[in-house]
Amino acid sequence: MQELASNLMNITTLLGASGGESLFTYQESSGGPGWLGLIPVLPAIAALICLLLLFLARKGMASGKSRGPAYLVLGFLALSFILTLSGFLMWNGQGKPAWIVTLFDWINITWNSGDGEQSLIANFGFYFDGLSFLWMLFVTFLGSMICLYASEYMSGDKGYARFFAAFGLFVASMSCLVLGDNLVMLYLGWEGVGLCSYMLIGYFYTKPEAVAAAKKAFIVNRIGDLGLALGLYLIYTTFGTVQYDELFRAVAERTDAAGSPLDFATMWQSWAIPCLLMIGAFGKSAQFPLYVWLPDAMEGPTPVSALIHAATMVTAGVYMIARMFPLFLMDPDLHALHAVAWIGTFTALLAATIGMAQFDIKRIMAYSTVSQLGYMFAGLGFLTTTGGAYHVFTHAFFKATLFLACGAVMHGFAGQLDLRKLSGLWSQPGWRITSVAMLVGCINLAGLPLTAGYFSKDMILAEAFYTPDSLIHFSGLMGWILLFTAGLTAYYTFRVFFRVFVGPEHYEPGDEAYDHDSDETGEESHHPVEEHGDHHADHFHPHPPGWAINLVLSVLAIGSILAAIPYFVSDGNDKSKGWVGDMLYSSSAFYKSPAGHADKHGNETAVLVPADPVVLPASFADEPAAAGAAKGKVPAADAWPVRDQVEAGSILGMDPHKAMYYISAVFGLIGILIAAYLHGPKGPAGLFIGNRTQAATSRADALLPKLGPLPRWAQNKWYVDEFYEATIRLPLWVFANIFHAIDKLLIDGALVDGISSLPKAFARSIRPLQSGVLHSYAAGMAAGLGIILLVVWVFSL
Amino acid sequence: MGVLAVILWSLILIPAAASVLIAMRTEKSAQTVAMISSLIGVVLALVAAAQFDWSNSGAMQLGTESGIPLIPALGVTLSTGVDAIALWLIILAAFLQPLMVWGSSTAINENKRSYYGWLTALFPAMVGVFVARDLIFFYACFELTLVPMYVLISSFGSTNRKKAATKFFLYTFTGSIIALAGLVYVAVFNLNLDPATFAGAGEWNFDIAVLQQAAQAMPLGQQGLVLFAMMAGFAVKVPLFPVHTWLPLAHTEAPTAGSVILAGVLLKLGTYAILRFVVPFAPDAVLEWAWLIAVFAIVGIVYAGLICWVQRDVKKLVAYSSVSHLGFCILGLFALNMTGLQGSVLYMINHGLSTGALFFCIGMMYERYHTRSFNDLGGLARKMPIWAFFMGFFTMASVGLPGLNGFVSEFLCLIGTFQSGADGIDGIGGTFGPLGPWYAAIAGSGMIVAAIYLLFMMGKLVFGPFREPDGYEHHGPLPEDLSPREIGICVALAVPCLVLGLYPKLITDSLEAPLQQTIDIYTGEDPALADANNPMTVALVPVDRTPSVLFEEATR
Repeated sequence: MQELASNLMNITTLLGASGGESLFTYQESSGGPGWLGLIPVLPAIAALICLLLLFLARKGMASGKSRGPAYLVLGFLALSFILTLSGFLMWNGQGKPAWIVTLFDWINITWNSGDGEQSLIANFGFYFDGLSFLWMLFVTFLGSMICLYASEYMSGDKGYARFFAAFGLFVASMSCLVLGDNLVMLYLGWEGVGLCSYMLIGYFYTKPEAVAAAKKAFIVNRIGDLGLALGLYLIYTTFGTVQYDELFRAVAERTDAAGSPLDFATMWQSWAIPCLLMIGAFGKSAQFPLYVWLPDAMEGPTPVSALIHAATMVTAGVYMIARMFPLFLMDPDLHALHAVAWIGTFTALLAATIGMAQFDIKRIMAYSTVSQLGYMFAGLGFLTTTGGAYHVFTHAFFKATLFLACGAVMHGFAGQLDLRKLSGLWSQPGWRITSVAMLVGCINLAGLPLTAGYFSKDMILAEAFYTPDSLIHFSGLMGWILLFTAGLTAYYTFRVFFRVFVGPEHYEPGDEAYDHDSDETGEESHHPVEEHGDHHADHFHPHPPGWAINLVLSVLAIGSILAAIPYFVSDGNDKSKGWVGDMLYSSSAFYKSPAGHADKHGNETAVLVPADPVVLPASFADEPAAAGAAKGKVPAADAWPVRDQVEAGSILGMDPHKAMYYISAVFGLIGILIAAYLHGPKGPAGLFIGNRTQAATSRADALLPKLGPLPRWAQNKWYVDEFYEATIRLPLWVFANIFHAIDKLLIDGALVDGISSLPKAFARSIRPLQSGVLHSYAAGMAAGLGIILLVVWVFSL
Repeated sequence: MGVLAVILWSLILIPAAASVLIAMRTEKSAQTVAMISSLIGVVLALVAAAQFDWSNSGAMQLGTESGIPLIPALGVTLSTGVDAIALWLIILAAFLQPLMVWGSSTAINENKRSYYGWLTALFPAMVGVFVARDLIFFYACFELTLVPMYVLISSFGSTNRKKAATKFFLYTFTGSIIALAGLVYVAVFNLNLDPATFAGAGEWNFDIAVLQQAAQAMPLGQQGLVLFAMMAGFAVKVPLFPVHTWLPLAHTEAPTAGSVILAGVLLKLGTYAILRFVVPFAPDAVLEWAWLIAVFAIVGIVYAGLICWVQRDVKKLVAYSSVSHLGFCILGLFALNMTGLQGSVLYMINHGLSTGALFFCIGMMYERYHTRSFNDLGGLARKMPIWAFFMGFFTMASVGLPGLNGFVSEFLCLIGTFQSGADGIDGIGGTFGPLGPWYAAIAGSGMIVAAIYLLFMMGKLVFGPFREPDGYEHHGPLPEDLSPREIGICVALAVPCLVLGLYPKLITDSLEAPLQQTIDIYTGEDPALADANNPMTVALVPVDRTPSVLFEEATR
């Protein structure tokens, strides 16, 4: 015991010596090149021009006859991407500093609070570091690519210019979200992307479902936004600043902006701030319980689903938590990160089960997005921001590919999305590129070995077992749940592929549900040949994608494969974590040991451990100092001991980082094989175990009745929407009506009108006295006189 | 009397003269004269802004040194002057005026002289409220705004206009009388003060600055009475829950321009008066009672917001949304810190722009369909895309979308409320104040409710399946979608919404100085809060001079 005590003393001294050092890499920021400020501005300009086109040239440009608006926005987005790329290269070459570029003052208030000057400063400034460059690179690249795709996909639509105006505005907002150098700018982008999402989900605004879905997305997001806003207020109230630079310095020094020390261990804000921010992230990134808007968001045009609801916007929550990671580490017990890990895990599982039972391929992809976002959150919860960010990166590519491939199918088959009504696209003329792209997306999503999705998912899964239980409780259990979910993912992914893309050739056209304004003539002039047959199954000819869609699909499919490269490329800062780890190393998302361990050079085992209140048995006392301290009760309130390799978690007694390659591959392959057995066609395309010979039926159909009501419940999304309807919307609506009745009857009726009618009522009550009858006047006079005399007499007594 | 005082006086006198002129001249020329007068108003407001010394924005400027004596025996003078707060509100009023005149071109076809005459007469009364530095002058203008508004509603409103106009007039008038009683009570208190306490004490004096000092010297109990008397009047005007029920009725029945000016400026008279009188006059009582007012504000935010959601009449929905929105404004005011007050004043301006614009949009639609019911209308974006764009734009401004004006004010109000009273917790972001994080957290739910009802409105009216009233056929002078005139109005309102959303510094910089004076009352070097050492609280003249005796003395 004594030894333990002395060990604790040692570690305390050690920490004392390195007192001011931060828990993460706090980078002093400097002014960056001003032209970087154009990155968010360019898409905004494009959006504005599109808007003007809408006003000024309503019949020509805006109606979709010309692809002008698309190419205009594409040009600006591409320019934005080029700027981002050159900025990144320049930044990389200059040793990865943190840059701040301020465009102009926004909210900037200073005052004298009585005991000193206080200020609230949130300018239109942009913060460039590894994290924001990482995000901006894929946001602007995918933005440009999907814009090109949409130029073909949306052609002929009446709202062409409107679509691209919102598209441009979205990229501008997303850039503000990612680049903003303060939390209010992040909030601006946050709500801005919400608005664009609203506009684009509700793009087919005459469709009631689209309008309802758009509304739902905005309102559910607002619930999360309230959490973010309150977190922002609390951060400001605690630290006296909302600017990243000052904020991170304050957290690193454990002070407020004025420099007075803060004791994170005893402050309630240290858990309240991350918990509030987390709610915001759950809303935007569609995590339980706020995930319900995302599947409905598929009412929007498919390019929107690909860009906003798969690749970029929904990752904003992951970005925000990664960006605010220093604040999540404030809490010695990591309450918020536990919640993030559990919610992420649960959402991954829940969404995967729903995805398994859906028939609409776009919806399956939507649930898979929710599920994959769950993985990213779980990764953040397991303290691997790198894993979370890398999965965001790979997912952005392969999920965009998947969505765009689904979109091509939908576009070609008049809105058909039911996997029971499509089959064997692989061998149909003109669909090969789509099918290959789909396959590439599917193997990534399913986590087939050596794909990008495989590496990024492994990073998270390995960390689940690697992170010791004392740090994130039950992280191993979550790891197993996520592994199981990986199997489910592989199953539902290949269910789609086996049903739709291989097997016997068959198709039924959709009902042109997303009717590109089919009530007007000539709107589908881009494919005049098919025009007459589109609505009749008998004469229906699918129209395979044109050059733009095929080009984008090819590029993104290749991109999905190449996204594995960053796993192996590293400049040596943090070898095992690859390029993404390098990027995050130069940002606030990276955390490190405070005790001066040289994690900068590949020692990834020096993971930060917050104070653990449990005093462990003395048997640990003979362990090395650092490990002992980690296991024991931490003396100083702000001591963040260092964990040694000894007590890193393991999986089945093996090093998770190595074992996970095999374990997750097994889970993935089992999932694919089950999909092949249940849905695969006869022959090599069904991996020789499938036997499906018809488009619509498979072994799964025979299996379904034996599973009881479960598949039906899963297909009905576990009735979560209905539950919300009954427990939240309906009561609120009832209250609204009650309030309205109260307002009308009680406040305005009884009180206001009641009081105001008193004078009238009083007047009316004495009106009979003015009867004009002389006798009654005389009697009244006499009575009055009598009373006066009586009063005088009484008072004179 | 400085030469520059002419500017403010012209802002009052020229439109007043113009309204008389309109009444005397022909129907045909009425709108033209009103337009010219309102444009002169804009020019004069700009001249005032140009002459205003922005580096000293907290000081009363462009006014009369000592005022024009009106009733010398009672110390009533016509003294004027503006600081940045008042000047911005004048600019807002002057800016809305020509738009209202322009926007009425097709809506008002008969009785134009009466309509434009009263519309023009409203302007000097509003300006008077903002420039007055004398209590009686202020109060007179405050009440004078009721008369033109009463006529506008009762003569040019919808079916239920008489009832609405009467309710509007009596309700706000009754409230104002109580407020006047409270303010006169302060004047009498001042009369009883030892003349040596400060300049202006111990005599009949209605100078607002003098009365402010007198009121601050009151003991807590009396300040409380004054506070409630003033709130009774000004809260009705705002309107604060539960004295809000006149507003939905008045808004729904008023003609478009009437609704615009009601939401745009008239409601702000209430919040402005609270900022000018309640907060500085009764600091002790405000600290004592701010929680209660804040609770009413928060209840109003959520309650009125939910009521919006079940409305069938879009104009009523927007009217109730004013009650909800103004709750944020009041909340920010009673946060008593810079962020909250900044937010509150910005809210006055921003709400005037965005809600005023929403009323314009609804009016434009009403002129075409003669109904505002969700039952008869739907999916109008299909037929009126330009209108739909502006409707969406102003809805987003109203819902508080960052980048547009509504966000900045709502954000500042909420962050101010959050900080207020949080100076005890760890960290330095907290400030002195009576509210705290919980108030902001609950009021923040209003953000969600606002999204619910405003998007409900968009979903019903602008989006969704297209629906027109049965048997509707388009006719009349207006095109299907907006005419260039209407687009002009919308653009004129949209531009400041965007500019103030992206560059609120334009206003916030100039508000720092005047608002610093307000918070200095609470936290400055010499706070006016009652304490044992405050010599002023015991400075009453120990004589039995009753008000009536003094009044006789003075008027003799």
